[in-house]
Amino acid sequence: MNQFIIGIDLGTTNNVLAFCESHQTNDTTDVQLLKIPQLVAAHTVEAKSALPSFSYLAAEAETTGGALDLPWAEGRNFATGEFARSKGADTPDRTIGASKSWLCHNKVDRRAPILPWNADGDVGKISPVAAAQQYLEHLVAAWHARFPESPISDQHVVLTVPASFDPVARELTREAAIAAGLPPHFVLLEEPQAALYAWLNQQGDQWRKTLQVGQSVLVCDVGGGTTDLTLIAVDQNDGELELRRVAVGEHLLVGGDNMDLSAAYFVSGKLSEQGSTLDPWQSVSLWHSCRAAKEALLTDDGPATHTITVLGRGSKLIGSTVSVEINKEEIAGLVLDGFFPKCHLTDRPVRQPASGFQEIGLPYESDPGITRHIAAFVGSHCTGENDSVSMPNYVLFNGGVFKANGLKQRMLEVMSTWSGDQDVQELSGGSALDYAVAKGACFYGFNQQSGGLRIRGGVGRSYYVGIETAGLAIPGAPRPMKALCVVPFGMEEGTEVSVPSGEFALVVGQPAQFRFFSSNTRKEDQPGKLLDRWTEEELAETDPLVATLNLEDSDETFVPVKFRSKITELGMFELWCETGESEQAKRWKLEFNVREN
Amino acid sequence: MGLITATKAFCKLLFNPQLCDSFDEMIASGGTLKIESKPAAESPKPIPPEIPVRSDAISLIAALQREARLLDIVTESLDGYSDAQIGAAAKEVLRDTGAVIDRMFGLQPLTTVEDGAHFETPDKFDAAMYRLTGNVSGEAPFRGTVNHHGWQATKCDVPQWNGEKESALVIAPIELEIKS
Repeated sequence: MNQFIIGIDLGTTNNVLAFCESHQTNDTTDVQLLKIPQLVAAHTVEAKSALPSFSYLAAEAETTGGALDLPWAEGRNFATGEFARSKGADTPDRTIGASKSWLCHNKVDRRAPILPWNADGDVGKISPVAAAQQYLEHLVAAWHARFPESPISDQHVVLTVPASFDPVARELTREAAIAAGLPPHFVLLEEPQAALYAWLNQQGDQWRKTLQVGQSVLVCDVGGGTTDLTLIAVDQNDGELELRRVAVGEHLLVGGDNMDLSAAYFVSGKLSEQGSTLDPWQSVSLWHSCRAAKEALLTDDGPATHTITVLGRGSKLIGSTVSVEINKEEIAGLVLDGFFPKCHLTDRPVRQPASGFQEIGLPYESDPGITRHIAAFVGSHCTGENDSVSMPNYVLFNGGVFKANGLKQRMLEVMSTWSGDQDVQELSGGSALDYAVAKGACFYGFNQQSGGLRIRGGVGRSYYVGIETAGLAIPGAPRPMKALCVVPFGMEEGTEVSVPSGEFALVVGQPAQFRFFSSNTRKEDQPGKLLDRWTEEELAETDPLVATLNLEDSDETFVPVKFRSKITELGMFELWCETGESEQAKRWKLEFNVREN
Repeated sequence: MGLITATKAFCKLLFNPQLCDSFDEMIASGGTLKIESKPAAESPKPIPPEIPVRSDAISLIAALQREARLLDIVTESLDGYSDAQIGAAAKEVLRDTGAVIDRMFGLQPLTTVEDGAHFETPDKFDAAMYRLTGNVSGEAPFRGTVNHHGWQATKCDVPQWNGEKESALVIAPIELEIKS
C-alpha cells in the first residue's frame, strides 16, 4: 500500500506538488505542499512552494563551476523554475515559457525541438513534450530529496490537465510524465474539477448544506495564459446529493498575463509621454507593478489612485526611477471592460478575420472578453430545450487573477443579469487560489483510495473519426466525408464500446490514417452515429489517428475492420481497429500522429 | 614484535591517535603495550560538518539586492533628490524587502498584546524575550506596559549557495548586456 497520495498541478505558469498521508481519519484531509528547491540565481538554491514553468537553456560559459547545479544534479546546462523565469525578461531567446499551451497546438510537431519559438538554432531547442518532462523531473527529484524512502513510483499520483485538453494533449502529457518517472498507473484529473475538490475538502460535510439539488456551479479557472470552464450540476441519487460534471469549455488562450500586459502597455504609453522609455528588464518590473495596481484598485474599498513606480536599471537607482499614477477608472476600463465586459447571454465572442500572413505562433483568442466566452459556454449548455442543467447558481473562482476582487464582482454581476431575478453567488472559502488545483488533486486521490466523494462525469466531450464515403470519385474534388461517433459524451472511465458500423477495408502493411474530431456540444450522439454535415463550432479537428495493420501468416491485402473505443481507468482514450469475432479477434491500436499536419 | 603485530599497531595508530601516546610509552619503557579501553560511544567518529564556503549573511544580503535592490538604495547619495523621488523609490524597495524577509523568516510579533497595553511576564524570566526599561527592580514576574511587541522568526530559509571560494563574497554580479 502506498504511503502517500500526491497531487501535481502541471500549470502553464507554475507547477505545484501537494501530498497527504494515505491513512487519515480527519473530517477534512490534511494536505501539504512540497517545498521545491530550485535555482533563484547562479549557484543559489532556494526552496519554494511553486516551480515556475520556465526553462532556461544556458550558454556553455554560464554553466561553469556548476553554476546551474541542483542538490541532486551536477553539470547542468539548463535551469527550470524561478531563475529561468527571471531570465525570460532579459534573455528571451534562451527561455521557454508557456510550453503547456504548445502541447495542444496541432499546427506544430510537439515532439520536435521547436522551443523557444523563434529562437536561433544554436541554443539547443527542446520540444514541448520535453519541456513538460523537465518540470516533472524537477518535481520528482524534489520529492525524492525530501522522501528518499518513499519513491514516487510507489505512491498514488494524480496529475491535472485542463478540462479543455483534447485526447492528444492528454496523451502527450502522459508520455512526458512516464518519461519523468511517474508511476504508469498515475491518474489524470481535470483542473477545474480539482479546484472544486479543494473546496469540498475545505468544507468537509458542510457542502451539502450550501448546494441544493437542481443547482449548478460554474468553475471559472483563469490561469496566467489560459481560461478553463467547467459546469457541475448538483443531482440526487437515493436521497444523497451527487455532483456531476456536465460540460467543459473550449481551450481559451487568454488569461491573467494578458490583463497585466494590457495595463503595462497603457502605463508605458503614459511614461513615454513623460519622456521615459523602459528597457526589457524594467518592462517586466512594470508588468508586476501593474498586477499589484490591479489588485489594489479593483477592490470595493480600494484607493482611487495607485502610483506605479519602476526602479532605475543601473546602480543609480533613485535618479532613474520613474513613477506614474493610474486611477481606478483607467484600470477598470482596461481590465474589467476589456476582459470582463458587460454582455448579454446571447452575445458571442467576436471572431476576427485572420490575416493571410498570420504567424504560426500560439493561437491566442481574437476576443479577449472572457464574459462573452462564458456566455457562449453557458448559452450552449443551459438554455436549450434538452439541457437538464440550470443556469449557474454559483461560481467557483480559481487562479491568481481573482486576487483582484473586482473581477469576481464584475463576473457575478454580469451573470446575475443572465438569469433574471436570481443572484449568482461566489462559492467562497476554498484554498489559496495558487495552490487549490494541486491540493484538490491530492484530495481526489485520497477519495479514490478511501471511497470518498467523487464528481461523476466521464468523458467531457464526444469523439468522432472521419470516414470517406464510397461512391464515384469526382476528379479534382475530395471524396465526401462523414464523421462517425466513436465515444459518446459522458462515457465512463474503465468502460469500452464496440462501435456499430459497417466494416471498413484497410490495406495490410500500410499506415491507415483517420481524421479525428471532438465536440463539447453534441451530447446526444451515440457510438455508430454518422454525421453528414456539421458546423465548425460543433466539431473541432485535432491530430489524425494512425495505425499500421500487420498480419502474419496471411496473404490478405485487405482486412475488414470495425472500431472499438475505450476509456481507461486512468482517463485515457484509446481507439482500436478489430477484425474477426470476439474470441479470435485481432486488434490494432490507433495512435495520434502529432507531426505537423 | 613480529611484522604482523607491527602492521596492526601501525593501522591502529593511524586511526586512533589516543593509542600513539601508549605506543610512545611502550617504546620508552621497552616493554608491553598498554591499551586503555575507550568508551564505545566515541566510535565511530562523527563526520565533521562541512564548513560552508559562504556565510548565510552574504546569501541573505544577495537576495535582498537581487529581489529588492536594497544595496543600491542604501548606498546611493540622497543629495539632490526630492523627498517625493526618494519616497517613490523607497516604497518599491521597502515592499520587496518586506516580502523577502517574510518569505525567509516568517516574521511574527513576540506577543499579540498591543502597544500601550498591560503585560505580565511569566515567573520564569528569559532575558532574551524581554527588554525591561524604567523602574526595574525585584524578581519576575514583571508587570508593565508594552512599548514594542518584539519580533521573532518562525523559520530561517536562506538560499543555499554552492559556488567557489573565490566568488563567495560576490553579492551581485556585474550585469552585462551583449548586443549582436
